[in-house]
Amino acid sequence: MSGPEQNVEPAELAPAAKADLDRAFEGFYRAHLRDVYSYAYYRVGNHHDAEDLTEQAFLQAYRHFDRARRESDGRPLRPWVIRIAHNLASNYYRDRSRRPQTPLENADPIATRHDTEAIAEGREELRQVIEHLDRLPDDRREALIMRFALGMDNREIARAMDRSDGATKVLIHRAIKQLQEEMEDDGAE
Amino acid sequence: MTEPSERLTGNWDVEALLSDALRPIEPPERLSSRVEDTLAAVTQAAAEELSDWADELSEAELRALRDPRNWVRPVVAVGAGGVATGALVLLELRRRSRQQSKSGLRALTSELRSRL
Repeated sequence: MSGPEQNVEPAELAPAAKADLDRAFEGFYRAHLRDVYSYAYYRVGNHHDAEDLTEQAFLQAYRHFDRARRESDGRPLRPWVIRIAHNLASNYYRDRSRRPQTPLENADPIATRHDTEAIAEGREELRQVIEHLDRLPDDRREALIMRFALGMDNREIARAMDRSDGATKVLIHRAIKQLQEEMEDDGAE
Repeated sequence: MTEPSERLTGNWDVEALLSDALRPIEPPERLSSRVEDTLAAVTQAAAEELSDWADELSEAELRALRDPRNWVRPVVAVGAGGVATGALVLLELRRRSRQQSKSGLRALTSELRSRL
């Protein structure tokens, strides 16, 4: 860690420093908009709330961007902004007592398949995996969203979830195992 | 993509299914401009607020400096501060003098004891 601990609001910076911060944030925002939106979408399950959540996440990120850059020691800031989105999503559920809706219909994740039968087959499988994913404990589900929707590695997920690398590896392993077992149980019935 | 045979035997390739099911979602185009507009509005509002606050402060200070009625307070404050400092110095001097006399008595006592 380097630099002072206090957070300076962007508006309080000198004009040159603020211009530099704004330029850097613009690049950061463009680079991570899709990740934050994808994460928000898979957490809340609809585009409307995902847009609100993404906007809030970037507003909060902007306020603390200067400090985050100073303290990052050159490490990527993606886990940091996903963590902001993660906390906002948790508040979203707590405040509104909602559960995520199944995102399969709008996400159209099998658009690249052409064979009609394969599409029908694949859609059923994907529907099942999404359903089972939704039933996982929150931390397991979120780790899998970060891994598969955002392509984050263990270290990034660990930073986003404020866990150790080892604990994150175990978490993901158990999440996949649980999903596998529950889908097999369903298939056997 | 998972083969149908895998599904029939119950051997799900969960990781492959998750990769297919959880694809990144492209944000709608309107979101990008919406976030940029909000950020611009927020930073503009914050800058204006800060600027207004700074302007008000400097004008108030200038007014206070120009108004002779307000000169009394600083003078009284400086006077009171001076009296308080003086009192503290006096107290400290008394404390040291008491300490010195105590240590002098102690020295005398120990000297007498050593002689006896």
